[in-house]
Amino acid sequence: MKKLLVTMLLLATSATAAHAGLKVIGKGDAMRLDPSDFPPAMKANYDIVRVKCVKCHTLERTIVAIQTGVAPISGQPFDRSATKAYGVKMLRKPDSNMSKPEVKASVDLMNWLLTEAER
Amino acid sequence: MFLKKRAVAPLCFLGLVLSPLLLPGSADAIPAFSRQHKTECSTCHTIYPELNEFGDAFLKNSYVYPGKKGDAAPQGDRADKGGARGGANEWAWISGLPEQIPISFTGTADLAYDNDAFDGNKLDLSVRSLRLHAGGAFRDAAGFFVTYNLYTQGAQTGQISAPGNSGNTPPNNTPNINELFLVWRNALGTPVNLKVGRFEPKLSLWKRSNRVIGVPSYASTAYLVGNSPFSVDAPQDGLELNLLLGNRLLLAGGVVDRNGQNRKEGYGHASLKIGGTDFKGHEPEVDLESDSVWDFLTITLGGFGYSGRNGQFDTLGIARNLNEFYRVGGEIDILYKRFHLKGGYTFGRDKNPLLANVADEFESDAYAVEGEYYLGAPVNLIPLFRYEYQEGLRGGTRRYIPALAYAPLQNTRLTLQYIYSDAPEGTNKTALASLAFSL
Repeated sequence: MKKLLVTMLLLATSATAAHAGLKVIGKGDAMRLDPSDFPPAMKANYDIVRVKCVKCHTLERTIVAIQTGVAPISGQPFDRSATKAYGVKMLRKPDSNMSKPEVKASVDLMNWLLTEAER
Repeated sequence: MFLKKRAVAPLCFLGLVLSPLLLPGSADAIPAFSRQHKTECSTCHTIYPELNEFGDAFLKNSYVYPGKKGDAAPQGDRADKGGARGGANEWAWISGLPEQIPISFTGTADLAYDNDAFDGNKLDLSVRSLRLHAGGAFRDAAGFFVTYNLYTQGAQTGQISAPGNSGNTPPNNTPNINELFLVWRNALGTPVNLKVGRFEPKLSLWKRSNRVIGVPSYASTAYLVGNSPFSVDAPQDGLELNLLLGNRLLLAGGVVDRNGQNRKEGYGHASLKIGGTDFKGHEPEVDLESDSVWDFLTITLGGFGYSGRNGQFDTLGIARNLNEFYRVGGEIDILYKRFHLKGGYTFGRDKNPLLANVADEFESDAYAVEGEYYLGAPVNLIPLFRYEYQEGLRGGTRRYIPALAYAPLQNTRLTLQYIYSDAPEGTNKTALASLAFSL
């Protein structure tokens, strides 16, 4: 019994530690981030992301990419160079309605989230 | 004046009201890809079947999702997800099979109003089609694509016109294979892709299906001369080699095997993309701190040549009264934010276009210019205008085509267009409403 408890405790600890920096609320289409611990600049960036990005896709797609380091559709690595590429893609997508400052804010947020997720 | 103002509203209303009752349409968008990659239609299309830049890269990558070699494997089979070829889908990986049957259907129904209809039937609702598509990749080694016309009825405006007359394909209004080909990607480890089967030879920048409105197709690629069945965009039985250089230069060349003769036909194509997403789907370098016109500007230039020979089949199926012909053409595609401009010019010479006993040489040319503005979300609407001209045996024909395409859902498209033709035989004015959906 003791062994089992220790094992469960270790598993629980490691599961929490994997994405210690990301507080995720909800599941599936309703998945979003809890920005309460975000620095002010990132909070502002998140306000852009949660409004602009969800026009075309759920936040789950972005959060899963950050958590796993793999873009869910392409299966390609989701790292800092990928965030820039995706940002450019969204900037150039005719109906994304995203300006360059908004895209930069989104890329900055994703990069910061990647760092947080790695902690 | 055929299209009186008071006729427009009822016509549009009728199209909208009746549209749910009609069978679907003439597009080559293929939801099988959407299901396979679990992504939305807008990943590859503006309003389908028109491709966006990424969709064009997907096409050029032989239906393998643009990325690094090996990324076509399902995630469960990737080495980092459970060992080499491991995971729950090992059977699919080893067999080279797509995990889902990659089949889609597209239906269209057209409503045409022609005040000058020769048979007096001004309002024609009898045009419809149902097509089957299949496409995908065997791992990332080969790509395949099939279009099978299950059913067409009426003067199918979205049909494949030329191959029906080419002797290689059964006539229209019967089931037929429009395209069926396999692409061996990076053959023998080289950058060359080898395509074999029935396909549209890579001549134009745009596949015939790569249009907001496919009816009529661009004069520069669809025009016919005399009785010759050849058009630039007709599917042919052939073999093609193509390769990318520097991800922005595409070279393609191939041979076509035409029935009824022992001589092969040949063609070549080159296209260069300046700015924008490259042919491999990589986004351009953009400085997020400063602005440049190249942040949004994409220019693609293309050129092609085709040399062939056709004739009139005798009772044994051997081509007689041979017509040697060639076509050369140049095209340009300009994309800037929501504005898209396409233009193409084709010149040709036929030594016996009437396929007659006595040859009478003819030089032809045609051009088309189309401008479209993609409104996109929240209203998925594209207004466009096309002007085109073609020189036929009897003289020149001009067409003016304003049109609207609307996609209430990404897999559904409603188009309204007005076609004004000024031909040597007289003028013709037709209004056309078309509903298409794919599933």
